[in-house]
Amino acid sequence: MNAKRFLPAALLLATAVPLPSAQTLEATYRMTGPAVHASFESVRQVLQSSSAVIQRGRKEIVYGTVVSPDGHILTKASELGDIEGLSVTVGDKTYEAPVKLAEDPAWDVALLKIEASGLVPVSLDSDAAEPERGVWVVANGATSKTRRRSQIGIIAATAREIEPAGGAVLGVTIEEKSKKLMITEVHEKSGAEAAGVEVGDRILAAAGQTVEDREALGKIVGKLRVGEDLDLKVERKGKPIDLKVRLAGRADLFGEEMTRNDMMSGRVSKRRSGFPRVIQHDVIGNAATMGGPLLDLDGRCLGMNIARATRCETFAIPAAELRGLAERMIAQSAGR
Amino acid sequence: MRPISTALSAPLLACLLLSPAGADVRRPTVNDKKAPEGRQDLEVIQKHLLETLPASRKATVCIDLGEGSGSGVVISPDGLILTAAHVTGGVGKEFTVVFEDGRKVKAESLGLVASSDCAMAKITEEGTWPHVEVDREDSSKLGDWVYSLGHSGGFDKERGVVVRLGRLVQVKDDTVQSDCSLIGGDSGGPLFDLTGKLIGIHSRVDGSLQVNMHVPVREFLKNWDGMLKSEFIGEGPFAKKPEKGKGFLGVGTEPRPEGGLNVDKVGRESPAEKAGLKKGDVLLKMDGIELTTKEQFQDLLKEKAPDDRVALELLREGKTETLTLRLGER
Repeated sequence: MNAKRFLPAALLLATAVPLPSAQTLEATYRMTGPAVHASFESVRQVLQSSSAVIQRGRKEIVYGTVVSPDGHILTKASELGDIEGLSVTVGDKTYEAPVKLAEDPAWDVALLKIEASGLVPVSLDSDAAEPERGVWVVANGATSKTRRRSQIGIIAATAREIEPAGGAVLGVTIEEKSKKLMITEVHEKSGAEAAGVEVGDRILAAAGQTVEDREALGKIVGKLRVGEDLDLKVERKGKPIDLKVRLAGRADLFGEEMTRNDMMSGRVSKRRSGFPRVIQHDVIGNAATMGGPLLDLDGRCLGMNIARATRCETFAIPAAELRGLAERMIAQSAGR
Repeated sequence: MRPISTALSAPLLACLLLSPAGADVRRPTVNDKKAPEGRQDLEVIQKHLLETLPASRKATVCIDLGEGSGSGVVISPDGLILTAAHVTGGVGKEFTVVFEDGRKVKAESLGLVASSDCAMAKITEEGTWPHVEVDREDSSKLGDWVYSLGHSGGFDKERGVVVRLGRLVQVKDDTVQSDCSLIGGDSGGPLFDLTGKLIGIHSRVDGSLQVNMHVPVREFLKNWDGMLKSEFIGEGPFAKKPEKGKGFLGVGTEPRPEGGLNVDKVGRESPAEKAGLKKGDVLLKMDGIELTTKEQFQDLLKEKAPDDRVALELLREGKTETLTLRLGER
């Protein structure tokens, strides 16, 4: 074999000539290099046919995962922005005017529909065991108009829930005086605003329990996840009103402090916590490379990339949960 | 200081099974290819990872410094740890190390190399600890497939130790660079070759996501004995040498006509109090030198720096005993 023939030469080199003070590996042979990615060509072809590129004009916003032959695509909801003016490319064909059929706030997943037929959905084997640390994974890297490229990595940690940074919140400021919980501020884009909570409302009950102080309310909210709804009874101008408020993650609503680790992490996802369950891998990416499928060496779909969390952590929704989400969201939108 | 063979036999067996007969059992041939040549090579890399990860994870610890944390790796059954100098920050520092399963044990830093970011520490509790083998032959080369482990961003029991795969992309005498992405909390953590041998310790990163620097084990081996003897080797930038004269004991003394010094004050929370010195004890000797006057005792202490060890021979209730303690910082 080659190695055998080269051995004497390498030994000679080492004794006769001092090693250069620094040796550097050419970019093409690194983890992000084309020469290394060449071995993943069969998996790249799955990205080519079963991942979607979602663009606004010429700008790539986020990727998507094809889940039905007739154009259902799952993606990361919080990166989409306004659905107007988006286009979706699958393979080398671009589809204009996608429709947003459904959104699941707990997972931060949106279901899009394009007018297409004969697409190749990802293969989601929900019975397969969750992949263990060290298993190769392939995800969407940079893309061109006609060609998807791959990025590679491995499963990096144990699958788990990622609790919302800062916990789940209603999105209101509350003043507590003489056993009355008065709302003094309703925050923009919060679930409270969407539900119609107003400044001056007095909170009477949450989840059916009478609440008179912050602590009691905090206990009820603390048990809920981001994306779950809380039944709120408020008093407005002497009348009780029932509202349903969808909880948001504190960090998603109010932003979070930049840590030292964030500073070295590049462009991470805005929404990167508060997921019921994720698998973690080390594929290098950024906020715009989420939403696409995470594939194994056989091209099977292990999940969907949902958050670039830090310099060394990327999260994906596991296959079983993703399949459940896809089925539920498609069924719900069909039933409407 | 050689790791015992029992813990070694499992990974060794794995290597033998993987390698073709007659080849160097230690070095997967995929390392000698410029790039993997297809599915089979990728599977070889994955197989090595899956087989060596359980043992290397078990030996990778989180070093809890109170404010912040780093990582380290146990390399002997009696609990010798390799980590980074900027993690231990000095000689003789006490801290807690946490294994992946959540087990917490006490440890203390030994020596370090301030110029290249090497440090040693030792678990101070009795036990036989999961550990990995050091690549003493310094056999890794540019382009080798490697993986990094660490408690990224701090200990997280549900998540466990985080692994990242990469290649050695730059090799210099006292640093190697890989494309295994590192982050705060990984500092001091281990870099492994595909056979699960330790080849480096994580040190620092660049702004670019792909620039991740490690200290190669050869730099540790070069300074091994000094570090074992708790020496502070080299000058900055990774650790600051404690200054002479800043060592703090925390006792007040009075000369004693028949020789030695009477202890008449012990500072609250001082190193002296923690070591068990009491009012009424008589100090006879420090590090073997007879104590005669307050001034002479102070001069001896002035030669000491924080974290230095001193041995005090004392007379208590008619009996002599020796107390060894570590000075604090003034």
